Amino acid sequence: MKKYDIIGSLFYLGVGLLFVIYSRSALDIGTPQEPGSGFLPFYGGLFLLGMSVLFLIKSLLSHLVEGETFFPEKDSWKRVSAIILSLIGHNLLLKPLGLMLVTFVFVGVLVKVIFPQSWVRTFIVAALSALGVKLLFTNLLEIQFPRGFLGF
Amino acid sequence: MDAFDLMIQGLQIALQPMNLLFCFLGVLMGTLVGVLPGLGPTAAIALLLPISFNIPPVSTIIMLTGIYYGAMYGGSTTSILLNIPGEAGSVITCIDGHEMAKKGRAGPALGIAAIGSFIAGTIGVLGIMLVAPPMAKFALAFGPPQYFSLMLMGIVIIIYMSRGSVFKDMMTAVFGLLLGTIGMDTISGTQRLTFGVLELADGIGFIPAVMGLFGVAEILINVEKVMVKTLVTEKVKNLLPTLKDFKESFWPIIRGTFLGFFIGVLPGPAPVISTYSSYALEKRISKTPKKFGTGHIVGVAGPEAANNAATSGAMIPLFTLGIPANSVIAVLLGAFMIHGLQPGPMFIFKYPDVFWATIASMYVGNAMLLVLNLPLIPLWVQVLKVPYPILFPLILVFCLVGVYSLNFSQLEVWLMIGFGVLGYFMRKFKFEMAPLILALVLGPMMESNLRLSLLISHGDPLVFLKQPISAVFIVVSTLLIIAAMIPGIQKRRAKLREVIEEEKE
Repeated sequence: MKKYDIIGSLFYLGVGLLFVIYSRSALDIGTPQEPGSGFLPFYGGLFLLGMSVLFLIKSLLSHLVEGETFFPEKDSWKRVSAIILSLIGHNLLLKPLGLMLVTFVFVGVLVKVIFPQSWVRTFIVAALSALGVKLLFTNLLEIQFPRGFLGF
Repeated sequence: MDAFDLMIQGLQIALQPMNLLFCFLGVLMGTLVGVLPGLGPTAAIALLLPISFNIPPVSTIIMLTGIYYGAMYGGSTTSILLNIPGEAGSVITCIDGHEMAKKGRAGPALGIAAIGSFIAGTIGVLGIMLVAPPMAKFALAFGPPQYFSLMLMGIVIIIYMSRGSVFKDMMTAVFGLLLGTIGMDTISGTQRLTFGVLELADGIGFIPAVMGLFGVAEILINVEKVMVKTLVTEKVKNLLPTLKDFKESFWPIIRGTFLGFFIGVLPGPAPVISTYSSYALEKRISKTPKKFGTGHIVGVAGPEAANNAATSGAMIPLFTLGIPANSVIAVLLGAFMIHGLQPGPMFIFKYPDVFWATIASMYVGNAMLLVLNLPLIPLWVQVLKVPYPILFPLILVFCLVGVYSLNFSQLEVWLMIGFGVLGYFMRKFKFEMAPLILALVLGPMMESNLRLSLLISHGDPLVFLKQPISAVFIVVSTLLIIAAMIPGIQKRRAKLREVIEEEKE
């Protein structure tokens, strides 16, 4: 856990630093008598900064033995990355492809990649998902989604 | 008008066909997410928030509350049949419940879990009726200093109760508070950390954050491992426990109910803590403690009653103080706010229809769960056969489309993905999620109460100690933080965690 604690403390250190610098330069911190818009971001950021430095030192000095590996299985990273990339892809392609097509592709890719299923099952699940999403959100809830270059 | 008359009025609203339907949908979905390992009530409520915009507020709250307590019923099914807790609150049920299933007594185990939950739910609703109105009246005297101190204490208790490091949880809570400051400052109108992005003026959307942290992150964690499902029994017979089972379980159910209810009122993962406490209590007072772990029905009855009563207890701080006791209730608080309802001391008096209808619906929902759940157990067994490779992409589609449909904003989808990745790493690095989500929800309220307190007192930081109620909250918070940092207590907490982990295994 030592390595993870160091990464975590560095992340919070960065966040604290960002809030302190930003509120100092772009916001009015004010005074305790008249706290401004930057009061909480500044002092909160300062507190986080202090805590993260202390935690970083504590983690660096600790003698904790590294525990389990980051991914529990050999190909875990593939599945996790596939999902993150697919989510990004869905958001990027929503407008050009339209809701139905992008949902079809998204579900299809994930069903085939996460724990691979047969092509027939993949196709059926992807098609039903695209149809279900259209029925629920577009037809039933009447929410307008991008139509994409194919017009649906 | 007394509580009984108001309850009757609430019951009339809850029994309207539309509300009955949403109550049914809520408990059904709750049971479903409880049954399915890897998807909890927090994620389920978050997933349904976008579509709840089209539903009247009372029906929405009835449905979302139903998901919470319905999940407690469903969680026991997976624990007993699969030895995988469908819900964190059902972890302890695995120990004796699964042993009972292996001995061919899955039916009585499931039956007593449902009956115990129903009794606990009923007593829990009575408890809310009795405790919530006087507590709300007491809280009416609260001003900004009391509110700030109370919210601070809420976050500190969550930190104290969590299983992780106090340092990590404190940092996470402050991180949540800071995230809550992004957007337009409600007092001065200044834009903070929006970097010119108009969509951020209203702050970081609660729904994208919750759906990312609980929906996407949960799936990322779940797909890491290939889930192997080994159903102990597919045909569950003799659901009604025997008279001997009833006799053995009656007092554990009653004790579990009271224990769960009072633990539920306190901030923290109440359903989880209450089940461990109930199990430990029953084992301690039992004349035959060695029977625990071998398929003893008491080990199912007490904890299952406790986790259900805890869900009722957890509603009290929400309704009376506007303070969420745990992350599920925090998401529920978000749902209230989205629908223009502000829980707090005035809530019961300002929206008596919503309050009493929700309480009445909890009773109706518990009855529905008892009547429907036992016959539906074969159906839940079938649901457990749905392959995860199909389920996960569908949940993700729901997250993506649900968030986009809120404001037709792709930025909110990016935020959801970002929070999903953040939540994934937080889980991997053992950073608790509850302090973050609680601080994110309470952050804006805490900030305005802090600033108002300082303005009123002309910048005197001692204002929080000069008001007796506020002082009590501050003293309790300080003591808890000190206690959590004292090496001896830290060791005891670590030891307690180890015991819990051992019991789980």
